[in-house]
Amino acid sequence: MAQQIIFYILAIIISLFSIMAVTSKQIIRSATYLLFVLIATAGFYLLLGYNYLFAVQVAVYAGGVMVLFIFAILLTNRPGESHENELPVRRIAAGITAVAGLALSAHIIYWNIKKISQIVTISDISPAQLGHTMLGTGKYQYLLPFEVISILLLACIVGAIMIARKR
Amino acid sequence: MILNYSQPLEISNLTSWFDQYLRSNLSEFWTLLIEFVLVGIFLLAAYAVIALILIYAERKITAFFQARLGPNRVGKWGLLQSVADMIKILLKEIIRINRSDRFLFFAAPFFMIVASMLTFGAIPFGKGLQAIDFNIGVLYVTAVSSLGIIGVLLAGWSSNNKYSMIGAMRSGAQFISYELSSGFALMTIVVLAGTMQFSQMIEGQRFCWNIFNGHISSIIAFVIYLISGHAETNRGPFDLPEAESELTAGYHTEYSGLQFGFYYLAEYLNMFIIASIATTVFLGGYLPIQIQGWDAFNGIMGYIPSYVWFFSKTGFLIFLSLWVRWSFPRLRIDQLLNLEWKYLLPINLVNLLLMVILVLTGLTLKNLFGIL
Amino acid sequence: MSSVSKYFSGLFTGIKSLLTGMGETWKELWTKKVTQQYPENRETLEISERFRCELVMPHDENNEHACTACGICEMNCPNGTIKVTPMFIETADGKKKKILDTHIWDMGMCTYCNLCVITCPSDAIIFKNNFENAVFEKRKLIMQLNQEGSKLREKKKESKPTEPII
Repeated sequence: MAQQIIFYILAIIISLFSIMAVTSKQIIRSATYLLFVLIATAGFYLLLGYNYLFAVQVAVYAGGVMVLFIFAILLTNRPGESHENELPVRRIAAGITAVAGLALSAHIIYWNIKKISQIVTISDISPAQLGHTMLGTGKYQYLLPFEVISILLLACIVGAIMIARKR
Repeated sequence: MILNYSQPLEISNLTSWFDQYLRSNLSEFWTLLIEFVLVGIFLLAAYAVIALILIYAERKITAFFQARLGPNRVGKWGLLQSVADMIKILLKEIIRINRSDRFLFFAAPFFMIVASMLTFGAIPFGKGLQAIDFNIGVLYVTAVSSLGIIGVLLAGWSSNNKYSMIGAMRSGAQFISYELSSGFALMTIVVLAGTMQFSQMIEGQRFCWNIFNGHISSIIAFVIYLISGHAETNRGPFDLPEAESELTAGYHTEYSGLQFGFYYLAEYLNMFIIASIATTVFLGGYLPIQIQGWDAFNGIMGYIPSYVWFFSKTGFLIFLSLWVRWSFPRLRIDQLLNLEWKYLLPINLVNLLLMVILVLTGLTLKNLFGIL
Repeated sequence: MSSVSKYFSGLFTGIKSLLTGMGETWKELWTKKVTQQYPENRETLEISERFRCELVMPHDENNEHACTACGICEMNCPNGTIKVTPMFIETADGKKKKILDTHIWDMGMCTYCNLCVITCPSDAIIFKNNFENAVFEKRKLIMQLNQEGSKLREKKKESKPTEPII
């Protein structure tokens, strides 16, 4: 019962602020609304009992990515200025892309849920278990994706150094 | 061996009695509801009271470092000074700034205070005095405290003031840098303790605190954590985001009244939170000083309630932070970033590796001397 | 190799100097506090002699002062704080002589720069350190420095006027 109420509150927050994030004309406000969406998503994880995922969501998205977003926005030319409306062609193209993306992810989620047909409820996972899963090489263990992602980050760092290097 | 002494002064006796009393009279739902509300009220009250005490203590200790007497007019020894300040700040007008971003300007202080409030809830103040004990406690604390910087950045931007803006940018750069070091220092101890849960971590330190257990590596991690925690709170030699001689007050220049009070409270509470996390992780939290084998000594120490131990250890660390604050001049921004990226972070990475080696080869004090 | 050793020596000298600094402040923590608890210690309060609070014209026991009404202090005052009004009298041998009628000092305008005292050729005025000068009305800040009925000290008695008592 209480969980249902909290779920609805979070859902309303997420949908409201998502809409506000894309309709707001000031880029810094959009970023703030997006931050609310990310925090509410973290609230979902907490509701489901995924403590680790909650902490990672807050640390990485809300605390890390959003801070960098806001930082980058503050460094741009005039962050508070309202944006002019784009050309109709571009607006239509953007709308179509958004709808297509929504359709694709909705299809995947729907398909997968139908396939599994039950939500796996996981009892409290200990961080040790998580660590072993993430860095193990056996079945259902994720060392390879983990390392691949680190190579991506490494490439980003090398790229950043290349850009920042004095000639 | 877990020592079960009767500890008459523990608050947990009172709380468990109250819990049983409620459960015997009310249904499960109402019991939980009443307890949740009470815990919430207690935390909010503790937040304000601790901040007031800290403000008084800081002003007094600062004065002593400068050969002054400090506040001594309001009440005996100036004890009511911070209460008077609080009343003043509550009564002050909240000023609206022309051409500022109204919504973000009002939202920014809440980020700051909510972030430190969320962290505050996870601190174990004493035996049975922890509001929530996540199994990822250390990670939770690191994650949630990183939200506060958004409040600073938004405040700086929405004030429509170049000083605020510069202060906020400096604060952001500083916070992001030092967050890394403090996280790594905590992770070093997580490797040693083998858990991220605060309660388990404290229980593991009964006879040998983590700072002694991992000897050289732990001490390096402790020092790094104190430095970077100190830098995260924008205080002491690292207060260049609010360098009053250059930037008036940095990101909270335009705030007044209660909104400024939020920043003020959050700053002091962050100092307390850093000190209490360091206490919990390195200095055995609320556990008394205990030596294996000396049962009589342990018994006597056990009679001192756990919250007294916690607050005295935390108080010691806060004193250390004040001592540093009034010893050193303010760093320049390049010195600040040099310290982090050229000294603390590399040392930290090596230290983490060293700790892993110590744990894997069994060179920790617990393994060497067979302490429980 | 030199850069590596430089890194580590820099690190350790840095730590050492920081600890030295903390040692200094630790000593400072236990020093005697210098705060003066003002209204309570009014009797024992000690103020530095050079602290400039109130301009006075010292008079000796014969109600005589050293001011010749030359007006140099008035000319040197950057704020126009001092107003010297001379008076002409005839001495016994029939000469006209300029003596001081009133020496007015406006404390509310004074910046306590000490220029009047420095330039006074006959050391007639000094700053005293009676600092409790708050009043309720502005006109009370305007003071007449020479006392009623006072007159110029005869110069030939001594080569130099007596050192004013502070």
